[in-house]
Formats: sequence, C-alpha cells, structure tokens
Amino acid sequence: MSMRPCQGCGRRYGYPVDVCTVCRSPLGETGERNGEVVAVTEVATPSPGHEDVPYWCALVMLDDGSYAISKHDAPIGIGDKTHTSARETATAFRIGIVGSGVMARGLVELFLARGLEVVWVARSLERLEIARAKVESRLVRVMDDEQLAFALSRLALSDDLAHLAACDLVIEAVVEEIEPKLAVLRSIEQAVSSECLIATNTSSLPLDVLASALERPVRFGGMHFFNPPIRMRLVEIVRSPQTDDDTDERLFELSLSLGKIPVRVANSPGFVVNRVLMPLLNEAVRALEDGVAPAEDIDEAIRLGLNHPMGPLALADLIGLDVVVNIMDDLHNRLGDAAYAPRPMLRQLVEQGKSGRKAGAGFYDYSAPPLP
Amino acid sequence: MIGAGKTRFGPSTHAMPRLAQEAILGALDDAGMSIEDVEAFIVANFLGGPNESQLHLNSVIAGLFPDVRRPGWRVEAACASGGAAVHQAVHMLAAYDPILVIGVERLSGRPSGELTRNIGMAGDVTLDQLQGLNFPASYALVAQRHMQRYGTRTEDFEILSLKNHANAQLNPLAHFYHKQVSQSDIDCGATVATPLRLFDCCPVSDGASAVILSAEAIDARSVPLIGTGLSTDVISLAQRYEHTTFASAREAARMAYAQAGISPAGIDFAEVHDCFTIAEIVAMEDLGLAAPGEAVELIRAGQTSIGGALPINPSGGLKAGGHAISATGVGQVYEVCKQLRGEAGERQVRDSRVAVTHNVGGVGGTCAVQVLGRPT
Repeated sequence: MSMRPCQGCGRRYGYPVDVCTVCRSPLGETGERNGEVVAVTEVATPSPGHEDVPYWCALVMLDDGSYAISKHDAPIGIGDKTHTSARETATAFRIGIVGSGVMARGLVELFLARGLEVVWVARSLERLEIARAKVESRLVRVMDDEQLAFALSRLALSDDLAHLAACDLVIEAVVEEIEPKLAVLRSIEQAVSSECLIATNTSSLPLDVLASALERPVRFGGMHFFNPPIRMRLVEIVRSPQTDDDTDERLFELSLSLGKIPVRVANSPGFVVNRVLMPLLNEAVRALEDGVAPAEDIDEAIRLGLNHPMGPLALADLIGLDVVVNIMDDLHNRLGDAAYAPRPMLRQLVEQGKSGRKAGAGFYDYSAPPLP
Repeated sequence: MIGAGKTRFGPSTHAMPRLAQEAILGALDDAGMSIEDVEAFIVANFLGGPNESQLHLNSVIAGLFPDVRRPGWRVEAACASGGAAVHQAVHMLAAYDPILVIGVERLSGRPSGELTRNIGMAGDVTLDQLQGLNFPASYALVAQRHMQRYGTRTEDFEILSLKNHANAQLNPLAHFYHKQVSQSDIDCGATVATPLRLFDCCPVSDGASAVILSAEAIDARSVPLIGTGLSTDVISLAQRYEHTTFASAREAARMAYAQAGISPAGIDFAEVHDCFTIAEIVAMEDLGLAAPGEAVELIRAGQTSIGGALPINPSGGLKAGGHAISATGVGQVYEVCKQLRGEAGERQVRDSRVAVTHNVGGVGGTCAVQVLGRPT
C-alpha cells in the first residue's frame, strides 16, 4: 500500500479520497514506483490474519520520498529493492461461465463481486436475463449504486459460445450429467484460445471422462465450488490424469485470490465432500422412511448433535433432490456400494416434481404461506 | 489536581464498574469530597465495546452514583484516551468545576487472538495491519530506524527494562510489584518482533485511575496542573516522513510547555508511555529531555533511575507498572501527583518541583502531555 500525493501541496494520502483536505487540489495517482527497504522486523508473534510466523515487515522508502509498509514471507534485507504496481488487485482476468442454473448464477455473482470480468453464456438468452436479474438482486444487497453499475458493466451475456473467445478461464456449470457436459466442453474448447484454461464445476463426475472430450486436456481441471459460492469458502481442486502442473497451480491460486480455501482432491467419485455427504443424506431419508422422527426433528437432531449449520433433509432440498439422486446414482454405479443407492422416497419426491426448494417443495414445503 | 485515586494494575477478577469505583472513591477521599460535589465526569475507555460488548460507559459509570445525574461522556483516543480526557477536563473547567476524570479498562480474560485484534484497532486497519504490521512490529521498525540512525543498542533497551522493573518493585500498585526481573530473565525472553523481545514489551493490565480537577486549589495538597497539550498525527507509519520520533508528541509537549511557561530543562522527572522499551527512548527525545539520539547516554549513565538526575517512570512505567490502556494516562497524572506531594513512599523522587506526563495512542497517532508542579 502506498500513498497518493496531492498535486498542489504534495501532502500524502492513504485513503480513497480524491482531493486534498488542506489545499483542495486533486490527488495524483499512486503509479508504479521503485522502493528501497530501509528497516525490517522479523515478526514472531501471530495476529489475526497473520497467523503464520515468522514473517517479515519492511519499511520501504519509495523513489518519491514517501514510505510504504510491506509484508514478506521470506527474509528481506535493508537496501533490497522493491517495486509496487499501481493496481494490486487481479490483473484483467476474464472468466467465462457456461450454464444458467443455481451454480452458474452463484459463480457469476462471486466473480463480479471480486472485480473480474465475466462472459456468461447459456442456451437461452431469455433464461439468462432472468438469471442475471437474480444475480443483480443478490449484488444489490452488498453494493451501492456505483458499485453495482461497475459490476454489471463487467458482465456480458450471450447465447453463443463464440463470445468466450477472449476468456482466460471458462468454467462450465451445466447440468450434472455426462453427455451434456461432454458436448459443452467440446464446444467451449472450439471457442476459446489455446491458452485458455477450462474448468468444470462438476461435483462428482470423473474428470478423465470429461477430459476425453477435449483436444487439450492438459489445460483442463476441476474447480468444485459450493453453494452459495460467494459464502462457501471451500473449492475442491481436481486433476484429471492429463491436467498439467501449471493448470493445477493456476486454478489453485485463482481460488486463493478469490478468498477461497482450495483443497486438492483425487479424481475419485464424489471427491471428498459428496462422497462423505451422500451417505449422510441417504441415511437421513432412511430414518424418515423408517419413522425414526419427522423431518424437522431429524434435521434438528443433526444440527444440534453434530453441530451442522443445517439439517441433512433441508440441505438435500437446497441442493435439489434431482441433483442428489443423480449424484447418488453415479456414486453407486462407480463405487458399487449400496450405501450410495438413492432411497425410494428420494426418487418418489423427484417423480412427483418435488425436487426441493427450487421447486417449492421437497422434504419441506416452500410455497409462500397464504395471506390471512 | 485536587484528588487522585488508582487501583492496582494487573489481572483482576473485577468488572469495569468495580474497578472504576475503587479509583473514584480513592480520588474522592483524597480530595475530601463527596461524589455529589462533582459537577461533571469524563470516562476514558478504549476497548469496552469490542472486549466487553459494553459502550455508553458514561451511563454505566453513572450507575455507580444513582440519582446524582451529572453531565458525563466518554473519551476514546486508543492508549492516549486517559491523557486526552485529562486535557479535555482542563478545558472544560470553565463550565464544570470540579470535574472527575476516570480511566478504566479490562483486558484480561479475552482469548489472545481476539485481544490482539482489538488492540490493533488503535493502528490503521486498512493501511498498516493488512501488511501484518501489528503493534510490536510497528515499534520494532521504529527501533530498527533508531538503531541505524543513532547507534542505539539492544543493551540500552535491557538497561531500561531492568530499571523499570526495579522501580515497579517499589510500587505496590504496579503490575509486576511482586516480580523480580534479572538479566537472565531478559536473556531468556522470546523474540516478539526483532529487535524487540518479551521484556521489551509492556503487559496488558486491568485497572482504573481517577483524578479530580478544579480551577482552584482546595488545600496544600492540591497539585497545580500548569500545562496541557494534545496533538494528533496521521495514524499510518506509511503516511509519516520520519520514524524515530513522533511529531504528535513533540507538538503536544510544545503546547504544554508554552502553557506552563517552562522549557524541558525545568523538568525534574517524567512518567512516559513506554509500551515498548524503545518508546521510552523516543519519549525522552520528543519531550526534549534529551537531544535526538542522546537519551541512551542518560540511560547508560543510570541518570534515569529514581536516584538519578532525571528519573523516568519511577512508577515502573507501562513496562513494569502495567498498561491498563485508558487508565494509563490518568494513572500517570496520579503518579506525578503522589510524587510532587512527597507521598510516593519507597519510590519517592527527591527534590522535584516540575514533572511531565506523556501518554501516546497507537504508534504516535495521538499524544497528550501534561506538566504538573509542586503544591504551594
């Protein structure tokens, strides 16, 4: 962090203001500056946000005579040269998102909130427009008019994958089934540059199978975000057998830069979270089928007894029971373990159109209560 | 300064109102007056909000004197809250006389990460702390600059630390009254942020201090407060131009000395804000008690000990007397009152006529300086 000088009197400001309070002249830009370390302390005591010690804090004198403080993970010496760039946020990085479902929407919200450019492609412009309105209604909760306008100015909508051409990374978040994903991945690769990374947000499909759709599988990997992406900190980073180190590293680093905590997991059915979660959900449904307790009480017991923020049945409703059934079927087929076979009640609810919160009903009723 | 009271500084099981009451009763008894004689009161407190989820402390403190209903308000300027409140009280005497100033703080019992974060609120959260510059690290950079520029040595910090610990053993209200600290303890101290180690840092204490000010002396024990200064500088080290001195302290001292009509040469001893050992050296130089870079000569010669030519922190200072944040600045005034009246017991500084207090918030973001004279 470095200071901006007043263009009139030279006083220096470190806050996001535009004019000098003393002489009212406009402030100049920070600009790129070279600096020299004039003092260093090795910090051995952790503090919130800086738990890993030791680290090194340097007092840096910049070439215009002002100072900056910088943190370093390795020893730095007095006289060492530093360089600060004008913008410390992510360099122009354009993300493509394909799909218009819940996860696609959540990812668009996340990337816009983090200041990145987003190209959002789905089959139907009409559905995209509806989804965009939902994203806007989420962003408006945390942004003022100016921020919202700036965020939306970084969003482009299209029903044509060709608009992904200038993206640095495209994440597909279409329906959780092999064939549609293969087709979409194939089309994305044809639309983007050879440098572009392609990631899938699949929650459980095999990366090696998905990679078979691609001519450049080295540039492809899994980034499994959790719903809602803006709030959930985990990203499961998955390699296919062909993913190269550079791709893996960049997907990992991008997750960190978004404020997420990436965890590398093997290309194994359900990765970690779904592999552990699905039997839990299935057992909760079985308990309901067996009359152990009503849905509300099963959820309450798990919330309080296991300290989960949400009960398994409510969670299944949130994920979508159709999605849950798809994942369980896939895990059952690949792992051959009956614990993963979806319980009959799950299938029944899906057949009745009660696929959870998005359908207005699942284990719980989400229809609005009638007005008195 | 017609009355002064103070609790012991150190870990306490008592809640803030109980601590405050002990100091208030001490000050009232010292002045020989009743709470009903007080026309207004100021509560200095820094972390009641984040630590105890308790703000609106003037009203909390009013719960210690039901039905009295005096004007009261809270002052917050990080670790300089107490000195800032005394400064304000002096300037409010035209409207309310006498005024009671209470500094109170509770810091123990919080998880250390939470406490570090809360104390960190005294530094710039966006400019400095994002870069990992916590308080020890800030003062460590000040120390590094001072060592480069003036040849100050870590041995100087050790002499100073031992001196303040020795003083604290003469002060029953000090945090480390019962703790004997030797060179070998210092040698074993863990590194906090180079060059600062454990015994370069003050503890965090619970405690309260109270003083009562009036425009007129009430008896022969009334201590004249002859000058007060308060100055505020930018909070971020990155926004400063120099890092071996605090401009706020120099300015506050200039104001206080001008009002008192004295020069630094007229000062017999000082209570200064030694939250870290380096801070005592910087304080002496900012107060003009030594030229820049020359405070260490007095320290090395033992002149800043109680029997020396210029005793610094006879109470033990923050280093060993304890640092109950907002109670610290008010507590410095308490200590100087005791000393100037000749009531300081074993730690009494002999033949002193004029003393100065120096209370800093953050890393020199705020500084309050008061000059007091011997009762006449």
